[in-house]
Amino acid sequence: MGWEETQVRGYDEFVRTAQRYHGRPIFALFCGDKDAEGRSWCPDCVTAEPVVRKELHNLPDESVFIYCLVGDRAYWKDPNNEFRRNLKLTGVPTLLKYGTPQKLVEEECFKAELVRMLFTED
Amino acid sequence: GKNEYDLLVIGGGSGGLACAKEAAQLGRKVAVLDYVDPSPQGTTWGLGGTCVNVGCIPKKLMHQAALLGSALKDAQHYGWNIAQPVHHTWSVMAQAVQNYVKSLNWGHRVQLQDKKVKYFNMKGSFADPHTVRGLTKAGKETIVSADNIVIATGGRPKFPTHIAGALQYGITSDDLFWLKESPGKTLPSFNLYVSLECAGFLTGIGLDTAVMMRSIPLRGFDQASMEYLQMASLVTEHMESYGTKFLKRCFPTKVEKLESNRLQVTWKNTDLGTEETDSFDTVMWAVGRAPDTKTLNLETVGVKTNSETGKIIVDASEATSVPHIYAIGDITEGRPELTPTAIAAGKLLAQRLFGRSAELMDYDNVPTTVFTPLEYGCVGLSEEAAVQRHGSDNIEVFHAYYKPLEFTVAERDATQCYMKMVCLREREQRILGLHFIGPNAGEVIQGFALGIKCGATYPQLMKTVGIHPTCAEEVTKLHITKRSGLDATVTGC
Repeated sequence: MGWEETQVRGYDEFVRTAQRYHGRPIFALFCGDKDAEGRSWCPDCVTAEPVVRKELHNLPDESVFIYCLVGDRAYWKDPNNEFRRNLKLTGVPTLLKYGTPQKLVEEECFKAELVRMLFTED
Repeated sequence: GKNEYDLLVIGGGSGGLACAKEAAQLGRKVAVLDYVDPSPQGTTWGLGGTCVNVGCIPKKLMHQAALLGSALKDAQHYGWNIAQPVHHTWSVMAQAVQNYVKSLNWGHRVQLQDKKVKYFNMKGSFADPHTVRGLTKAGKETIVSADNIVIATGGRPKFPTHIAGALQYGITSDDLFWLKESPGKTLPSFNLYVSLECAGFLTGIGLDTAVMMRSIPLRGFDQASMEYLQMASLVTEHMESYGTKFLKRCFPTKVEKLESNRLQVTWKNTDLGTEETDSFDTVMWAVGRAPDTKTLNLETVGVKTNSETGKIIVDASEATSVPHIYAIGDITEGRPELTPTAIAAGKLLAQRLFGRSAELMDYDNVPTTVFTPLEYGCVGLSEEAAVQRHGSDNIEVFHAYYKPLEFTVAERDATQCYMKMVCLREREQRILGLHFIGPNAGEVIQGFALGIKCGATYPQLMKTVGIHPTCAEEVTKLHITKRSGLDATVTGC
């Protein structure tokens, strides 16, 4: 079985979804909310998303890719939001391998080779 | 050139990675091979070498865990309501430390990729002076060729050879930092700084710990000068007063497994001429580190090693006996086994090979610190080395016993808080060495290392105003000489 994608919004939905896929490799991309035209308030997320999507075919079999919208700009700027507090996220976009210290933050997500490395290396 | 890479580095530790990244920054095509042979107990780890995975980093973090335990005890005196005794959970500490180490592994991986350094998780061996055969864990082979090759494979802990059961039942520092469960009652052996540091933090987190010492403590800490007799005994005295047991002038003869799964250690007490035994949960060997050269195939290409130590012989430019093959870090003969010197040597080597530099690594006056519960930091010559080099008539040793302010309210024993400075007696009275035992010794000594590098003199030090209230300021006030025989205890202000 190849990889699959699921989209979530907000911390609670993210945690529930991650728990549901417990036991499988989980990769997650956290981005700022998108407006009615589908544009994120986070310019770096706009740059990173196509780069990440282009590398998704490198995901290992059985893995899950969770695309997570974190919230609006005001929510994200709050230093106590649950993503910062519990998942220790420091910025968006963040691409990570759930349950490991392996992650790419902000401009690191623009680099296809780093994204590929995150998806393919142990 | 006809080779694939400008530089191939074998070993992704402190020295290797620094060299590789520097060369890549200079625009060169660089590859790194890194591979970790599992320890006899099966422990393995990621990219970054000894320091990151099984050395400095986890050691200092666990030392900090132990210090926090002491601080919690002191806290009551300062008004904090903390129920005593305070308990420590190994698995919580271990997981936090191990997670941090793994984030460093990842950080190095990202850095290499970002700097376009090609990384192979493979074990390398020489096929010819410009070609290395890399083997993955699964046995897949890759051939890599380079104009220049740097060997930076470091070392691994040795196991004692004449003690039955040592290999089978004992662990080393390689394993200690990766234990998921508490090591319990532990016997670190013998008297190298590794066993003292480990015994220190194990005692500090509440574990029953005994150190077996054949002879003098801190032996081999600094290969360039002799045993730090005085400093070493102060450090171990402190540990003893805080609960670490020392089995002095004893050496183990065998280790056996009991039905309970605990380990029974038998040893000879050379003082009493008797044989003694005790049981432990863990026996950890710290009997020195061996250079990791066995599988490199050095003989094939003619890289010369020291027949006694097995380490690679290099000249002042880190060159081996074979042109275009260099070596840096713990693997090299006569060099300190320290991360910062490996890193500096690696960077300078890359600059000499690919930059326009001719600068050689300066191995003089390298500051270091042993992170025992009461830390020992030093820079420059030991008293013994200074006497050997200049003669006791030509040096002056200033010293002082002091009490950190923080110890007063906490009612802590400061008997072993001590410092000494070795100076030349003649003319400008240049400072040759500074030794400090006390809290935060590493932080204290770092700044003075610059002073020594600049040729600081005793009169200059006396003109340097101290920061009050600190322990470090006592250095600027050193005035009692050993020669005078006067009481060296500092009185408060």
